[in-house]
Amino acid sequence: MISAPTKQILRAQLRSFPANGHTAYLPNVRKIVLEFCQKLPSSTNTRTFISNDLERLAWQKPHVEFVVKQRNGHEPIARGFYVNGRDKVIPLQEFEVNGVERKVQLLLDSSGAKIKPLKKGRIVESTAEAARGIWSGLHVDTPFKI
Amino acid sequence: MATWQIRSWLSSTIRRVASCSVSTQAVLPKNASAAFSLIRSQPSQYIVASLAGRKYLLAPRDLLTVPHLKDVRVGDVLALQDIHEVGSRDYTLRGDPVISSSRVRVEATVVEHTKGKMEVVFKKKRRKGYQKTIKNKHPYTRLRIGSIQFSEPSHS
Repeated sequence: MISAPTKQILRAQLRSFPANGHTAYLPNVRKIVLEFCQKLPSSTNTRTFISNDLERLAWQKPHVEFVVKQRNGHEPIARGFYVNGRDKVIPLQEFEVNGVERKVQLLLDSSGAKIKPLKKGRIVESTAEAARGIWSGLHVDTPFKI
Repeated sequence: MATWQIRSWLSSTIRRVASCSVSTQAVLPKNASAAFSLIRSQPSQYIVASLAGRKYLLAPRDLLTVPHLKDVRVGDVLALQDIHEVGSRDYTLRGDPVISSSRVRVEATVVEHTKGKMEVVFKKKRRKGYQKTIKNKHPYTRLRIGSIQFSEPSHS
């Protein structure tokens, strides 16, 4: 008995695209490292933030690992590590204490993806095929005649 | 796709459906539930929903970028309120002006708050000594669209 011929399945057809947030959302940020200097005055606001506000922020975000690292002789830095393997580094020497908190919040809100222009082609990024199908000039009642 | 192409495609689809109805009796849905079941029977659906003052054509698993939404945290799930149109390959249902959320429910998860690429605008008036550089990074919120959930309205 000969079975009916089956359609060839190409390897690329079986690919799936990640859609974080479609059913379940997994946060993209995994670790935030705050580096400061013990003596230099540019680190004063960062040190104030670490001693006063960091613990509250860490309790609010239990999925993120917060690391406080002393780095003498250098400017204060906030470094965020993300699940896609990239990291974002933000210098903190110019900011007040609430400015430092805003920059740490920026790291927490980000997904770690590279900054790209988001106005034109990336408003709706879709991997799904068009539900209505693609218009074809050949499958029309009166095809265009040159 | 140009407007004339869309119109000719639409008219051809209507003509095809009309010509089909002569040979095979096309069953027009009697009520909204029948219309929804027709749309659900097809493999994939889309919605046209308005968010932040703009209309978007969305499908499940899409990543939508809108201007920064305040009072929204990363990981929050938002239910789209204004769904204007639900459709599939051959059928479309348009709301007046909105389809009630008891019938169609679509959720969007906030994936991130980002800033776009640095835009530099250089302004100059020649021979007047006036020139200035404006740097701008526009803040955005990115949302992941969930699946389209059809439900029967509960009759009180």
